[in-house]
Amino acid sequence: MKMNRREFTRSVALVGAGVATTASFAFKDRLPKKSSDPAGAETVREIPPLESIPQTTQEDPLLRMERELHKAMTKPVEERKWVMIIDQRKCVGCHACTVGCIAENHLPPGVVYRPVTSEESGEFPNVRLKFTPRPCMQCEQPPCVPVCPVKATWRRPDGVTIVDYDKCIGCRYCLTACPYGARTSDFGRYYTASEAEGASRLQGSPLCGSDPHMAYEDIPNHELAKSWDRSHHKSPMGNARKCTFCLHRLEVGLLPICSTTCIGRANLFGDANDPESLVSETLAKEPTYTLLPHKGTKPRVFYIA
Amino acid sequence: MNDTLKPLVKPFSIRNVAETDYLPVTLPWRPILWVVWIIFSLVGIMGLIQRFLEGHLPAGYGSYVPWGLWIGIYFHGVGMAGGAFLLGGLGYIFGWKGFHDEKNLRQMIVLAVSTILPAFFAVWLDLGQLARFQNIFFHPSFTSMMAFNSWMYSVFLVLAGIIWVMSYRPKGNYWLKPFVCLGVVFSILFPSQSGAFFGVVDAKGYWHSALLPMMFLLSAITAGSSLLLLARVLIEASADRKLSGEELENEHAMIGTLRLVVLLGLIGYFVFEFAEFSITLWNPYIHAPALRLVLFGPYWWVFWVVHLFVGGLIPLALLLSKWRFGWTIAAFLVAVCFISARLNVLIPGQAVGELAGLQEAFQDERLRYIYHATPMEYWVGLFTVAMGMAIFVIGRRINFFAHSVFDPKPDEAKTSDPNN
Repeated sequence: MKMNRREFTRSVALVGAGVATTASFAFKDRLPKKSSDPAGAETVREIPPLESIPQTTQEDPLLRMERELHKAMTKPVEERKWVMIIDQRKCVGCHACTVGCIAENHLPPGVVYRPVTSEESGEFPNVRLKFTPRPCMQCEQPPCVPVCPVKATWRRPDGVTIVDYDKCIGCRYCLTACPYGARTSDFGRYYTASEAEGASRLQGSPLCGSDPHMAYEDIPNHELAKSWDRSHHKSPMGNARKCTFCLHRLEVGLLPICSTTCIGRANLFGDANDPESLVSETLAKEPTYTLLPHKGTKPRVFYIA
Repeated sequence: MNDTLKPLVKPFSIRNVAETDYLPVTLPWRPILWVVWIIFSLVGIMGLIQRFLEGHLPAGYGSYVPWGLWIGIYFHGVGMAGGAFLLGGLGYIFGWKGFHDEKNLRQMIVLAVSTILPAFFAVWLDLGQLARFQNIFFHPSFTSMMAFNSWMYSVFLVLAGIIWVMSYRPKGNYWLKPFVCLGVVFSILFPSQSGAFFGVVDAKGYWHSALLPMMFLLSAITAGSSLLLLARVLIEASADRKLSGEELENEHAMIGTLRLVVLLGLIGYFVFEFAEFSITLWNPYIHAPALRLVLFGPYWWVFWVVHLFVGGLIPLALLLSKWRFGWTIAAFLVAVCFISARLNVLIPGQAVGELAGLQEAFQDERLRYIYHATPMEYWVGLFTVAMGMAIFVIGRRINFFAHSVFDPKPDEAKTSDPNN
């Protein structure tokens, strides 16, 4: 080796320092940190109870879940534990939840938060169709969070994993990390591309690219209780997007849109920290399962087959 | 014109390299390379214009296969940079014949930079939010292998710059070799981390392998060495002099070493690949859809033809022969075709979903487990190659300019290669 003792000593010191610094950075972000999410009294919501509809013992699950939601919102966020239960015996595969979600969140083409897979089993005449709606699983150990290089996604105290569209750089690493395929990227497409009035005139214009569209597609959505305006290539265009259990609706005492649009009442939602809630009751009474349990993500979306 | 500035504007000229026979002297290499560069640049600019005007719309990737050709180019580029620096740095530290002087060290730095910067450019274009790339430096999360990788590359670039400056004052400088040592460690770490980038993704069974970092490191060394060999041969082909005596011996020794490294790297990589594939496929009932895609899917030819035959077997045969021009061809084939090694990890890993029926559940062109690179992606890919060539040429000019300014030894300057 063409190196004298001084060079060798310095090499060892420099390499040692380099490796130690690298290792310290690797461990730094693994240490538990205090959440910067709002918590405590400021997250308590006083939502007027449903007094106009009298409570009965046999009332519609939607009404019951709505009342329980209002009750849950009176607690600080860290005391809520949102879970979803999908009863596949009741799901008829109507896709109302998928469509409702698209309308509620103004999802562009290619972005979907809640597709419904269908699986056929058996042989005629003994056949069965099983439908599996797949929202974000809001995992307790979400694999999509640690892969984000810019801390743009995290798990809230109530267990909902969210994306800060203002921070996300659109690298799509989280898309690959989610085993459920629950994240999709907003590539900036429009349903009415090239169909809009005057589209042919605007085609290829630097102002519109090749995608002139109708104005209604630029109406902002209100995910995470903020106004997100996609026009002029603003976020969430270019970002990873995902289901948030309709946090913006929960904030004002409304159930997630997939629950309200479900015609078979197959989609239950509520606070599992409330022992009297419908979801707690169902989890205790019914045998449930989760998707891909071997991945160790501990989903908070449960299925009844 | 100022004598110092002359080398900056002096064009390359092709002279006789019959002493080495690594390139046939009858072919006009300089015009050929210029034509290639102009074509790649023009076509690439078309792709760039499309990318900036239309965003990701003309690209072929989607949400189920979110990464495509540009990410393959990125990992191939950073791998070659790491491999080239690793070998050149080790050669310098250990005083290997042909690698031992500072000129070679600087050449190797220029080569590493000219592969890593286009790689960064490719991955930057892949981002959904181009203007936010700096978040990865100012708000990094080191639980993400992507942030970790980005920082590693950046530190490596800074180190390369420090080494480049120090290399002009090697005598009495007891920090140069220690910094080269640190650079070598980083050039081992970041190509391995490229493998870990995929390896840590538990969601993709095909990626989740501890062998992947090793395979990425080995392919980086192989492709990086082949690029060094190719660059060295082209440099000599464009030099204004004939090699003789000790210089010629050094040249032979360097190319001989590189040939051996590429040869061993190729064998090693294919042994690793065989280990990975054979273990997966040993059980006849095994469910390995991603691997079946690699071997028998619609892009079977990428593995069998591009990777194994053109990028593996032909270079192996050429490197084992005594035909020196064959070694150059082999280096070219390995440097180009080894991108298929990256793509064969990248694409099949994404093209298999964990949940059955997802693609059919909501049908859209961006929600498919199929990926075909589009013309825009290929055009931008060619631009990155042109960009690398330009950085390499400009870097070498800067090298010589700096050499004439910081290290003006009159006797040596008269006889040395101005392009070195």
